[in-house]
Amino acid sequence: MRLKVILSGSVLGVIALMAFDFHVFNRPVELKLPSNFPEPVYDFKTNPLTEAGIQLGKELFYDGKLSRTGVVSCGFCHQQPSAFTHHGHEVSHGVDDRLGKRNSLPISNLIWMKTFFWDGGVNHLDFVPLNPMENPLEMDETLENVLKKLNESEHYRAAFRQAFGVDEIKSTEFLKALSQFTATLISANSRYDKYVRNEGAQLTAQELNGLALFKSKCSSCHATDLFTDGSYRNNGITSDFRFDKGREEVTSDVTDRGKFKVPSLRNVEYTDPYMHDGRLTSLEEVLNHYSDGVKISETLDPLLLKDGRPGIALTESEKADIITFLKTLTDKEFLADKRFSEY
Amino acid sequence: MKKIFSILSIAILVTAFSACSDDENGSSGNTLVLEFDNVVGTSNLVLNTSDQPYTNDHEEAFNVTWLTYYVSNIKLKREDGTVYEDKIKSDGSAGYYLVDEADAESHEITLKNIPAGDYTEVTFTIGVDANQVDQGAQTGPLDPANGLFWSWNSGYIFMAIEGTSPVCTEEGNAFAYHVGGYKEDPENENLINNIKTFTLSFKGDTAPVKADHQPQVHIIFDVLKFFKGTGANISFASNAARHTPKACEDIAGNIEGAFVVDHIHAD
Repeated sequence: MRLKVILSGSVLGVIALMAFDFHVFNRPVELKLPSNFPEPVYDFKTNPLTEAGIQLGKELFYDGKLSRTGVVSCGFCHQQPSAFTHHGHEVSHGVDDRLGKRNSLPISNLIWMKTFFWDGGVNHLDFVPLNPMENPLEMDETLENVLKKLNESEHYRAAFRQAFGVDEIKSTEFLKALSQFTATLISANSRYDKYVRNEGAQLTAQELNGLALFKSKCSSCHATDLFTDGSYRNNGITSDFRFDKGREEVTSDVTDRGKFKVPSLRNVEYTDPYMHDGRLTSLEEVLNHYSDGVKISETLDPLLLKDGRPGIALTESEKADIITFLKTLTDKEFLADKRFSEY
Repeated sequence: MKKIFSILSIAILVTAFSACSDDENGSSGNTLVLEFDNVVGTSNLVLNTSDQPYTNDHEEAFNVTWLTYYVSNIKLKREDGTVYEDKIKSDGSAGYYLVDEADAESHEITLKNIPAGDYTEVTFTIGVDANQVDQGAQTGPLDPANGLFWSWNSGYIFMAIEGTSPVCTEEGNAFAYHVGGYKEDPENENLINNIKTFTLSFKGDTAPVKADHQPQVHIIFDVLKFFKGTGANISFASNAARHTPKACEDIAGNIEGAFVVDHIHAD
C-alpha cells in the first residue's frame, strides 16, 4: 500500500516535471477586456498570452535589429506619447531617412481589428510586422535575416526558450511574441470610457453636445466604442489617386480607388498629423475638411455626397463642440502606461 | 525506498522516451511515398542553366530559375472505395508540403501510418486554403520565412515559376508567375480563388500498402503543360510578371492538366 502511494507520487512528479519544464517561470496572462467593447477578433487559443511572451514582444518592438540598419525599430514610428504613431511626421520615416508614402497609423485595440494598414492588405495581427519590416522604404530587412540576428543572440535565445520552449527561433514564435505585446496595447480608460461605463466620470455640457453631434454626423463610419467600423472609404481628401490608389492596390478593383481604412479616433488629440498621407495637422483642419474641403471623385463615399453637395453640414460652433468631445477620447493612462514604455 | 523511487523514475522516463522515438520514425505503420518529378516535356527540368534550353508552344526559348508549389489535403483511395486522409494540423506543422525543385528532399512526400490495402488514386490540393491563412503565424512549410507569403496582401503563393526568355520584355528578360489567391468575393471580380483540388488516377495500376513495403507513386509535373493547357497558352513576350490572383487566373487553369501519375513502384 505504502509502495503504491510512493509509486503514484513519483509518477506525478515526473509528469509534472515534463509538462512544466519551461512554463515554471512563465505565468499565463489574461487580458482585462473593457465592458463597452465587442468581442475581440484575435484568437488567443492560437497564441496564449504569458508574462514572458509579452515581455519578449515588447523587447522586439523596441529593437532596431528588426531593420536593415539596426536603428529603426517598430517603436521608432510608433511612439507611446503619440498613441503609438509618429508625431510630426506626415509619412513613415524609414532606414537611411527614406520616406514611405503613408502616415504611420496609431496602435491600440488591435485585437478587435479584422484587417490592418490603410489598405487592409493584412488580415491577421500576426502578419502585421512583416509588412514594415520588408518594405524597402521602412525597415528594409528580410524575415530570414532578422531570425538570423535573433538566433545569434544568446539573450534572445534564452528569452524565446522561456516564453515558447524553443531552442531555435523561427518566424512563428517571433511573430507570436510581437502579437503578444501589441495585443496588450488596449486603450479603454479615457474620460469618455469612464463616462459610458458609469465609473464616475462626467462630461461637460459642451462635450455632451459634441458627443450628440458626433453620433449624428460621424459615427456611421467611426462606429462603436472602437470608433471605426473597419470599412474602407474615400473621404474626399483628394481626387487625385495617381500616387496612391489606396485599397485598390490590394484588391485590383477600380471601385476601391482612393479608399482607405476608417481609422479609430482613440487618443486622436495626440495622433496628428491626420489622414493617410498626413496632410492635415490639426483637428480643426480635419473638421474643416469634412465641412468644406471634400473633393468629388467617382468613388467618393455616398455619405459625403448628400443631394449633390459634398461634405457634412457643420457650423463653426458644432465643430468646436465635436473637437471638445474628441478630446475626451484621450486615455492618459494608456499614453503613460509603464508596461508599454521603451524605458 | 529511495532506490525504488529512482529506479521507477528512470523506468518511466525510459518508457516515455522510447514511445516518443517510435512515433517519430513511424516504424509502427505502413508508408506510401508521393514523388513529384518536375519535367519540361520529355526533358528533365534543370534549374539555372546558362543557356535557354527549353521551348514553349510559341517557339520561345526559356530557362527556369525557380519552381516551387504547395501540396496539401492529400487523400488516397483504396480499391474498396475507402479513403485515407492525410492529417492536417492547424499550426501548419502537418499536412502541408512545399515541393521545391531546388531541394531534392522536398520532392518526396512520405505518408506514414496509412491503412494497408491496394490504393488506386490520389487527390490533392495545389494551394493554401483560407482556413489556414486565417490562423495567423504558421510553422513548417507554411512558415513565412520560406518566402512564399505575401506580406502586403496576406496569403500564400501556391505555385511560383520564374526564369528567363529572350522575348521577355521585363528587366533581365525575366518572367515570374506567382499563382495565389484563396478567397473569392462576389462583389469583386478581381478577388479570385485559384486553389486547385483534383484527383489523379493510377490508371488501372495499384499501390500496394502493406508491412515491409513502401510503394512509390511517381507523379510528373510538366512545365510545358503548365504554360499551355486548357486555361491559357502563355507567351513570355507580354505580361510576363504576374503577381496578383486575377493576373494568374488563366495560368492557374493549367495546373491540373500539368500533373499526371506516370507510374508506380510497388516497392
